[in-house]
Amino acid sequence: MTHLTPDELIDAMEGLLAADRQAHLATCDECRAQVAGLSITLSEAKQTSVTEPSPLFWQHFSERVGTAIDRDASGGRNRPSWLGWQILVPLGAVALVILALIVAAPKLQVSDSPLALQAPEAPDASQPPDNWVMVTELVGNIDLDTASAAGVIEPGVAEQAVLHLTVEEQQELTRLLKAELQRAKS
Amino acid sequence: MTHESVLPVRPWTVALVKPLAELDDSELVSATIGGSREAFEVIVARHRRAVYQVCYRFVNNHEDASDLAQDAFVRAWRGMKNFKGESALSTWLYRIAVNVCLNRVSAKTVATEPLESNDQVADVRIEGAPHAMIREERAAAVRKAIAELPKKQRATLILRAYHDMSHQQIADVLGSSVGAVKANFFHALANLKKNLGSEP
Repeated sequence: MTHLTPDELIDAMEGLLAADRQAHLATCDECRAQVAGLSITLSEAKQTSVTEPSPLFWQHFSERVGTAIDRDASGGRNRPSWLGWQILVPLGAVALVILALIVAAPKLQVSDSPLALQAPEAPDASQPPDNWVMVTELVGNIDLDTASAAGVIEPGVAEQAVLHLTVEEQQELTRLLKAELQRAKS
Repeated sequence: MTHESVLPVRPWTVALVKPLAELDDSELVSATIGGSREAFEVIVARHRRAVYQVCYRFVNNHEDASDLAQDAFVRAWRGMKNFKGESALSTWLYRIAVNVCLNRVSAKTVATEPLESNDQVADVRIEGAPHAMIREERAAAVRKAIAELPKKQRATLILRAYHDMSHQQIADVLGSSVGAVKANFFHALANLKKNLGSEP
């Protein structure tokens, strides 16, 4: 009969070995020695205790956890409260549209003849427009479905969002777009 | 039927009529999900020692263990609404702690702690210095050998030997099968035996 497998050796050590395999164990010195060795090692491991920290540590630990939770909760609030991702996504879309126009403009200027201009190809309805893919990449791990479900990447949302900005927010948007354009040019 | 019995009662509102410290874990979870930060503080106070010990067994030093345990509780706070009560809260917290340890701890970067400790001093007074020193040296060697095991083997040994978790519970924590847990347990003990074999 074959020797006990690792699973069976653990079962034997814990007194859970099936009866037919128990018969093998009773007659196999090698398996019995392995089970005994495992038991001794486990027993020795169990006897080692964890060094107990100072009693003052536990109160300090709870306070640390509380502080870490507060920090964790406020982690996403470093930017102005109005500048949430519901605003940032449409802003990103607007910035990308402007960038796309800037990139396309020189190509139009270098054409030799107006006849050379081709009618734009109809977009492939099965593929999402490139700018929306780029927007989702900018946002991070939010996939298209999630963003769509949240209602933040439907066409027209960006324009709507811009119309509802306050003067202060529009100034900030202008600043952000200028900075983005500056970065794109360089 | 009484009027009270048909009123919808949110479980966490129990916290309003009982001191938090008297609530059981499931009531504390409900209260935490209901927004009670104090209830979570009671959970931390109740389970911090066990979670810390899981982490300590992993890394074998106090500083890293306390950082890992803290991280585990922050993740527990974040994910409390996902706790469905299918396992004991302690098992769920162990799972988080083990995952934090598995993600952050490398078997090659175990920083072990020096021998001095309060219980060692106590042992010296009771048993006499030579015997206590030998015993503590051996215990330190065992802790170090455990902390140097491959991560899955280490997690299995820690949960089985020190937290009395069943193979099935460990399988749930590690996301593996009972057979894999038993195999890991066997190899953990075999490696431990081998690594300690040359020592007294």
